[in-house]
Amino acid sequence: MTIEEGAKFVAAAYAIILAVLVLYYFLSARRVNALTRDVTLLEQEVRRRQGEAGGE
Amino acid sequence: MKQLVSAPMLFVGAGIFLIVGLLLAFLYAPIDASTMGYSQKIFFYHAPIAETALVAFGVAFVAAILYLRSQDPKWDRLGVVCVRLGLLFSALVMATGMIWGKAAWGTWWDWEPRLTTFLLVCFLYVAYFVLRSVVEEEERRATFAAVFAIIAFIDVPITFFATRFLPAGMHPTVITTSGTGMPGSMFVSFFISMIGMTLLLVALIRRDLGVEELKDRVADLKNSIGG
Repeated sequence: MTIEEGAKFVAAAYAIILAVLVLYYFLSARRVNALTRDVTLLEQEVRRRQGEAGGE
Repeated sequence: MKQLVSAPMLFVGAGIFLIVGLLLAFLYAPIDASTMGYSQKIFFYHAPIAETALVAFGVAFVAAILYLRSQDPKWDRLGVVCVRLGLLFSALVMATGMIWGKAAWGTWWDWEPRLTTFLLVCFLYVAYFVLRSVVEEEERRATFAAVFAIIAFIDVPITFFATRFLPAGMHPTVITTSGTGMPGSMFVSFFISMIGMTLLLVALIRRDLGVEELKDRVADLKNSIGG
């Protein structure tokens, strides 16, 4: 097998590794952002309800 | 909480080691003189990813034991995260291994000991998630999953030692007790990639543990407001 022929396989392998790892990284980063936003909103809601209950 | 989730320095460190390892693999390490030729360059990430996948399953095994001893949900979370990442790395091992196999041996797949036992590892850990999905009650799910993770781990050392004890297959044994079986320049490239991949695993474990903790926090908050 020539270097050119081997290089196609090598490029394919490294492209798959890079694509999968980058995709996983960004998907999990999106998940973290979404969950952090949910936690913030829910904590605000809990405080608002506690405030309402305290005021009654 | 945010700091725990991002673990940015670990990702940066992993990235530096992985890039340096890759540069050395292509610019410093020689082209393999055997029949593998240039396709052997796949080895510099393929082997570290494989070792890292097995390490992830090893951590899941330890987490399972610790969960069964303490019933602390943090060990269950660690187990889930490690099995998920182990499967991610295993999928990469299978994909890159098949490409390398086609280039070096002329075939995408062969039912030889290393490949077969590694495929079995993948199936076992997919079954781990199937098991988790069918048990609704949280504590029972964690207990069953921990027991399953311990049983599934039996195949991990079998996979690791398959090429050593069953040398009939095509898969080479690179690192043995008598040496690395490769030139020093290749080993340096491999070793740096190995450090990078291990750091990446640690960074991903930390981030995914943060995700699991956030999911639990969301569930607790929803329960506390009755929704």
